[in-house]
Amino acid sequence: MAEERHPTRTQFPASAETQKPHLKKAPEFPILEKQNWLIHLHYIRKDYEACKAIIKQQLQETQGLCEYAIYVQALIFRLEGNIQESLELFQTCAVLSPQCADNLKQVARSLFLLGKHKAATEVYNEAAKLNQKDWEIYHNLGVCYIYLKQFNKAQDQLHHALQLNRHDLTYIMLGKIHLLVGDLDKAMEIYKKAVEFSPENTELLTTLGLLYLQVGIYQKAFEHLGNALTYDPINYKAILAAGSMMQTHGDFDVALTKYRVVASAVPESPPLWNNIGMCFFGKKKYVAAISCLKRANYLAPFDWKILYNLGLVHLTMQQYASAFHFLSAAINFQPKMGELYMLLAVALTNLEDTENAKRAYDKAVCLDKYNPLINLNYAVLLYNQGEKRDALTQYQEMEKKVNLLKDSSSLEYDSEMVEMAQKLGAALQVGEALVWTKSVKDPKSKQRTTSTSKASGFQQPLGSNQALGQAMSSAAAYSKLPSGKERSQMKNLS
Amino acid sequence: MAAAPPSDFNGGKVESSEAGSKWLDAHYDPLASIHTFSACLALADLHGDGEYKLVVGDLGPGGQQPRLKVLKGPRVLTESPLSELPAAAVTFLKDHHEPRTPALALASGPCVYVYKNLRPYFKFSLPPLPVNPLEEDLWDQAKEDRIDPLTLKEMLEGIREKAEVPLSVQSLRFLQLELSEMEAFVNQHKSKAIKRQTVITTMTTLKKNLADEDAVSCLVLGTENRELLVLDPEAFTTLATMKLPSVPAFLEVSGQFDVEFRLAAACRNGNVYILRRDSKCPKYCIELSAQPVGLVRVHKVLVVGSNQDSLHGFTHKGKRLWTVQMPAAILTMNLLEQHSRGLQAVMAGLANGEVRIYQDKTLLNVIRTPDAVTSLCFGRFGREDNTLIMTTRGGGLIIKILKRTAVFVEGGGELGPPPAQATKLSVPRKTRLYVDQTLREREAGTAMHRTFQTDLYLLRLRAARAYVQALESSLSPVSATAREPLKLHAVVQGLGPTFKLTLHLQNTSAARPLLGLLVCFLHNEALYALPRAFFKVPLLVPGLSYPLETFVESLSDKGISDVIKVLVLREGQSAPLLSAHINMPVSEGLAAA
Repeated sequence: MAEERHPTRTQFPASAETQKPHLKKAPEFPILEKQNWLIHLHYIRKDYEACKAIIKQQLQETQGLCEYAIYVQALIFRLEGNIQESLELFQTCAVLSPQCADNLKQVARSLFLLGKHKAATEVYNEAAKLNQKDWEIYHNLGVCYIYLKQFNKAQDQLHHALQLNRHDLTYIMLGKIHLLVGDLDKAMEIYKKAVEFSPENTELLTTLGLLYLQVGIYQKAFEHLGNALTYDPINYKAILAAGSMMQTHGDFDVALTKYRVVASAVPESPPLWNNIGMCFFGKKKYVAAISCLKRANYLAPFDWKILYNLGLVHLTMQQYASAFHFLSAAINFQPKMGELYMLLAVALTNLEDTENAKRAYDKAVCLDKYNPLINLNYAVLLYNQGEKRDALTQYQEMEKKVNLLKDSSSLEYDSEMVEMAQKLGAALQVGEALVWTKSVKDPKSKQRTTSTSKASGFQQPLGSNQALGQAMSSAAAYSKLPSGKERSQMKNLS
Repeated sequence: MAAAPPSDFNGGKVESSEAGSKWLDAHYDPLASIHTFSACLALADLHGDGEYKLVVGDLGPGGQQPRLKVLKGPRVLTESPLSELPAAAVTFLKDHHEPRTPALALASGPCVYVYKNLRPYFKFSLPPLPVNPLEEDLWDQAKEDRIDPLTLKEMLEGIREKAEVPLSVQSLRFLQLELSEMEAFVNQHKSKAIKRQTVITTMTTLKKNLADEDAVSCLVLGTENRELLVLDPEAFTTLATMKLPSVPAFLEVSGQFDVEFRLAAACRNGNVYILRRDSKCPKYCIELSAQPVGLVRVHKVLVVGSNQDSLHGFTHKGKRLWTVQMPAAILTMNLLEQHSRGLQAVMAGLANGEVRIYQDKTLLNVIRTPDAVTSLCFGRFGREDNTLIMTTRGGGLIIKILKRTAVFVEGGGELGPPPAQATKLSVPRKTRLYVDQTLREREAGTAMHRTFQTDLYLLRLRAARAYVQALESSLSPVSATAREPLKLHAVVQGLGPTFKLTLHLQNTSAARPLLGLLVCFLHNEALYALPRAFFKVPLLVPGLSYPLETFVESLSDKGISDVIKVLVLREGQSAPLLSAHINMPVSEGLAAA
């Protein structure tokens, strides 16, 4: 202080305590924004208690004029779930400074959270007039329109937001619109662009991977899911999808280790336990498979895929009575799937209820267009019943389906199934089943036939694919059983 | 520093995770009572004696007693009270005089207090903001009593609605007053010139014209009215003013003021603005869509921590390079610079009591602390080059020294598969009984199935029969006939021997009232006595539930109970519309007597 310099500004001795009111009587007004920075610092580090204390003090000192204090108080109220109160405070802020778009934005946001989407869009439009360069306003407008089911308007707003500034969130919302409308291709396009823009966003990567999975481009799906997992090794959605792909390729042990991560993250996920169950099934640990599937069923009693798998495992365990129950439950939830009826028929055949088995096969044949296995199993049953002519019809039907499939793709059939078909063909004296020989000789990709489960939900696309693959072999295993009988019959004939 | 007695810290708690920790625990005092932010911590050789001191702008417990503390080693050297809370503390060289001891600048409210040799040296106040000329004019008129308070109020309100320049506090306060108070207010304040003052929110330093370690630096201030000011280190005049779209919360500067510099300001609207020497307004903008909680520059990368628990790396042009997710909320961030190895890294104090050190997106080290760390500072302290100073939420002070042999390598933190992958799956076990049952099912599956099917058919048949019977004899408590849609339920109250039986009868038709209904009770007359076993029901308005009460006297003393049947009949018809069976409770009153 002694060597005080003389700059232009006003200066007083900087001793800490002295510079208070220097003008007498009329009390000095405190600076309204005096502690805004402190409020802000406490707010961003989520120390809400301290924040509230300062806000209270600040509002007392300024008699409720400190706009920022009210603003943060409102934000905290909103975080605590008191949306109505926060809305009122934001409205106070908007009164204190009517030219500020931010206050209007927050009013709209609170309205949005209260479910008043229409009112929110109005306020957002108002805010957009004050600030035309804010992507957030347009993004939120778009989201409001999604909730109002005005998808075209929503798309326009979101595209506008993207033009102003690109954000992952906007891409996600746009993609969601396309998915809601059911336009997979467009959704994928959006997500591809989004991934290009931010290649490390695991949510984008996972969603794109799942979309690829849904349309059957497995290579790309795996690539994206893998990328998602490198950035976030505990992303359970990606793990579940990647795991189910591994299952299709028979990597049950790898899939199981991956599932451990999911099991600790979301221990009550039905698709998880379904997939774990089917892993054990693939490893021929049937009891463990049944326990896991039963847990899955307990968690999601109305999921037909789990019931389907339970039916399948019980068939393999030769517990036909139990299998019957699970399968009929599955049919109650999903009455449009041929394979289910076929499995039911297999169970019924083993329960010596041929009459109903036949009816189930009829239903299956009538529902299904592509699966030759149904016809084959039906033919075997008919043959065993001595109804040779009907068996022949089914056999020919099966050949037709096989030819059809051979044209469209190169598939490999279960060897048991092929063998069975050849045997049956010989028994029915239709000559060599030429259809098969070729397809067996060039086993290319190990992709299974069924694409039925594609319609399924996001998280378990392949758990049941796996099941279907197994379904075929188990059904073939069934048809092997009576093959002993068959042969003896043949002997009798000749 | 190294000589600080380790007696007062709890070694087991402060220890870093690995046994071969890179850090020496120098000091831990959970009761140091230091409540501050990273911005208010500074390390400097304040006396020019080669002993680096720690300067703390302490907010005090609950932000009540702001103090300026200077620590030498773990001891508080000096402590002086402050009139207002400190927003930032920095040390800087302000001139070329020898000895080259740095000055200390403390931003607090609208002023910067500069200390030299720990003695107050200079106080800089922010220039007052321009006032609205219209507003000024109005108050001038008020001074000369040419305007009455009511018109003043109206005019001021008009200004508030439209004008670019906001009103002064005096006018705002005036607008809030009731009519009766206005006169007095005007008289009290009219002689005073109105003024608008803003406050400093953040402060940092910027080298003036040389990049050297000991070059003269300017102060850079961020203010509440969305401006950045660069101050001359000697004259404390404003060298440059820059405008921002929002209020700055954190600043990060590189370069020299006279040559070229880059200024990054993390603002309250969730954006980070990047300015350059010749730009009066932001050149680039990073939109975080979250609140920034810290801003650190590592070499050429701007690292921003967001309140969505993540760290982002950006180029100086605002392009996003990477993102790392944190396990908990980030409380504070600062730069770790190890000159001897040329290492620069980011330290982030997390809410779960960890301090994580990142170089780009690779985790170098994790320090676990007994309490969440709220402020961090790394540098030379005492005579030790690499010292880490942390203060905790509870006001504790932790000082750690980086071992001279310690080398940060990639993978010092977590790597490889997540730990959950090692835990076994909890597959539900099956009992022996289950296996036995399975075997039984295999043997006798067909028989089981048949029995089950037969029983199921029988069950369905019985259910159907019972249902038909109920329908035929109107045994159900809900009457489904189109003409008399009725609902009945009954409540029995009391312990006995007298019970109160309340029937709730509701007409469920949409509009038609019901008239001419009768209620009849059937009961064993040896057991129960009712005052009226048969009575008329009043008119039933649709939708309302009518409580019909009657008393029931239990006659038996043997503690037995029976069923009372309630029938609702239409006048002139023998078949009941509906009926209810009421299981009477055992009379407890009689049993006790």
